[in-house]
Amino acid sequence: MYDLVIIGGGPGGVAAGVYAARKKMKTLLVTDSFGGQSLVSNDIQNWIGTKSITGLDLAKSLEEHLRAQPGIEIVEGELVTSVSKRDGGFAVATNAGRQIETRYLLVVSGSRRRKLGVPGEREFDGKGVVYCTTCDAPLFGGKTVVVAGGGNSALEGVLDLVTYASKIYLMVRSEVLRGDPLTQEKVRSHAQGPDAKVVILWNSLIQEVRGDKFVTGVVYRNAKTDETKELPLEGVFVEIGLIPNAEFVKDLVKINDYGHIIVDGKTQQTSCPGIWAAGDVTDVLYEQNNISVGDAIKATLNIYDHFKKS
Amino acid sequence: MGNAHHVIIYTTPACVYCKKTKEFFGRHSISYEERDVATDQRARAEMVQKSEQLGVPVIDVDGAIIIGFDQKNLETALGLKV
Repeated sequence: MYDLVIIGGGPGGVAAGVYAARKKMKTLLVTDSFGGQSLVSNDIQNWIGTKSITGLDLAKSLEEHLRAQPGIEIVEGELVTSVSKRDGGFAVATNAGRQIETRYLLVVSGSRRRKLGVPGEREFDGKGVVYCTTCDAPLFGGKTVVVAGGGNSALEGVLDLVTYASKIYLMVRSEVLRGDPLTQEKVRSHAQGPDAKVVILWNSLIQEVRGDKFVTGVVYRNAKTDETKELPLEGVFVEIGLIPNAEFVKDLVKINDYGHIIVDGKTQQTSCPGIWAAGDVTDVLYEQNNISVGDAIKATLNIYDHFKKS
Repeated sequence: MGNAHHVIIYTTPACVYCKKTKEFFGRHSISYEERDVATDQRARAEMVQKSEQLGVPVIDVDGAIIIGFDQKNLETALGLKV
């Protein structure tokens, strides 16, 4: 039986692993892959202590730091599918059929991309529907596309596409753009004038993705006018936010309306004794790599306090 | 030392999964030909025709098409797993 199982290999999980190993707790970290959601980012400029780093390099340096810890055990390439209570701890199961027993559990499993959930989305996934804008933007050279969303990732998606696409509709659910003012400004600068490359459609939601072999258009509805229109285009870039990866503990810990694990901000404890959580999977106010690291360390030190007492 | 397989990878410059796939080839000493579909229109058409989709990476191993960095399928196609 392990003292601690850490679920997740993003910045939070790795930070917890480093601290747990140094406290000499018998620790296992389970992750699908290292680096977290920043993996696909080409330039991270706010990772403190580093002026600029790619997501891939950040992932590598995190993994290297973790693997340098004596005593830490790592399972890579597996996803945790369920957690249940056992005498004096928990049983953790993975999608590869692995069964792990542990006394304490730290959930730092982050979040994943939210999908549109409309007809045609799944059918045309990879056939015009795109979830990795930085990867696939160059494939839409000279084409008309729509970016759904109004936050940082949607705005950055528009900027990725400006070099390639001939026309970009930014479809925003509300009347405001979220995201950094600097990025907003850049996007707005491409949306000026009658020949603007970027057209912002406010209060609009995609209702359906249409196509034959590939995407040929979307049907969208304006919530204010209640009008439904079809927009002929070839690419649908989905950047509408995140869903926390908390399903596997949803019957054990308290979860808020958005699916985030509710934690005590001082200790990162969940409502279930023995389970802690940190990072984007929690109801933390700000979803940031640096914050996940701090919160995961807080959790690990608090786990260690419990470990010592027992 | 080359490999017995003919491997083509279709990539874009900013695609992290393309980089991960190439690192995977490096780890297993697999030689490959890279085609950048961001600049090479013909390669793009070829990729779309082979994979019937728009997304990178696409890997062609002796004519078998693998979409995305799918380690398990790559291992099978390259005969890396016993």
